[in-house]
Amino acid sequence: MRDDPDVVTLVTRAAGGEAAAWNELVERYAPMVWSICTRYRLSSHDIEDVSQNVWLRLVEQLGNLREPAALPGWLATTTQRECLRVLRAARRCDPSGAEPGEQPPDLDAAVIEQEIIMAERNAALRAAFAELPPHCRKLLSMLISDHSYSEISTILEIPIGSIGPQRARCLERMRRSGFLAGFIDDEITRTQPKAVGGEPGE
Amino acid sequence: MSDRWDDGRLLAALREAIRARQAVPAEFIETGRNVYAWHNIDAELAQLTYDSSHDRAEGASVRSETASIRALTFTSAHLSIELEVTEDALLGQIIPPQEGTIEAQTRAGPATVTEVDQVGCFSFDPVPASPFRLHCRAAEGTDAVTGWITL
Repeated sequence: MRDDPDVVTLVTRAAGGEAAAWNELVERYAPMVWSICTRYRLSSHDIEDVSQNVWLRLVEQLGNLREPAALPGWLATTTQRECLRVLRAARRCDPSGAEPGEQPPDLDAAVIEQEIIMAERNAALRAAFAELPPHCRKLLSMLISDHSYSEISTILEIPIGSIGPQRARCLERMRRSGFLAGFIDDEITRTQPKAVGGEPGE
Repeated sequence: MSDRWDDGRLLAALREAIRARQAVPAEFIETGRNVYAWHNIDAELAQLTYDSSHDRAEGASVRSETASIRALTFTSAHLSIELEVTEDALLGQIIPPQEGTIEAQTRAGPATVTEVDQVGCFSFDPVPASPFRLHCRAAEGTDAVTGWITL
């Protein structure tokens, strides 16, 4: 796992009683917890239950995490375990439901690993984005929500011809962000391997 | 550096990151934030070190959940709390045996406090509503809180 001093700092500060650091941890990793819950197709009530339990476990373990840098993995595993617990409890309460002995579907370890990688990458991207000057954030927000250049030109009051160059400058700025160091170059290539060499057995 | 993302790829990745965050309902984030109120830096954490239901669940073969007594042990640096859950009560003992008070905290509703006798025994009748945790203040000065318990 990548060494992430920032997570370590957040965990230490939260363990020491700093609510802002805790909120930052929640902000960063809630999307991953949410995403795993939705993979299990839990009801909104069950999702609430899982999320309470996951964060409560984290709160009680804050001072005891052996490797704070491995927090995303810990959270993913804890979420998965809580989802399975809720599903099992639901099956037990519903005699007409699943066949006896049928286990709730377990997610592939690779899926969870992917969630962890994406969570870290997404958190880094959002952090890099948040650092950009306001005009860049506005422009990029409009671009990612699929506004056309003419809409952007009208709303932001900039000439259409300058959108392209501004987009390039803003993205270049983002690319240089310290948050993205290590992601842009290697993590991603691991996630989306280039098709090098032959595929086994066509 | 040949692998550095071009603009299109970076923008697509950013879109995905922002959408992943937007997909999360505000209440979901709120729940996570609120949980911090349970943070207690003064009490030592008593971790779950034994759960009789794990022995059964691991086998996953027979439906033996009718077994009425569940035993749990929580251990902190200075003491252990042994629990037995019966149909209508939660019985426990503090090891090493010592007097004190013990509080059952639930997420909703008030906490229930009960005395721990000289041999470290206590009981809650009825069993506290799940999930709950126990906060033990032993006479010898140890202050320990268990992890959350869901029965």
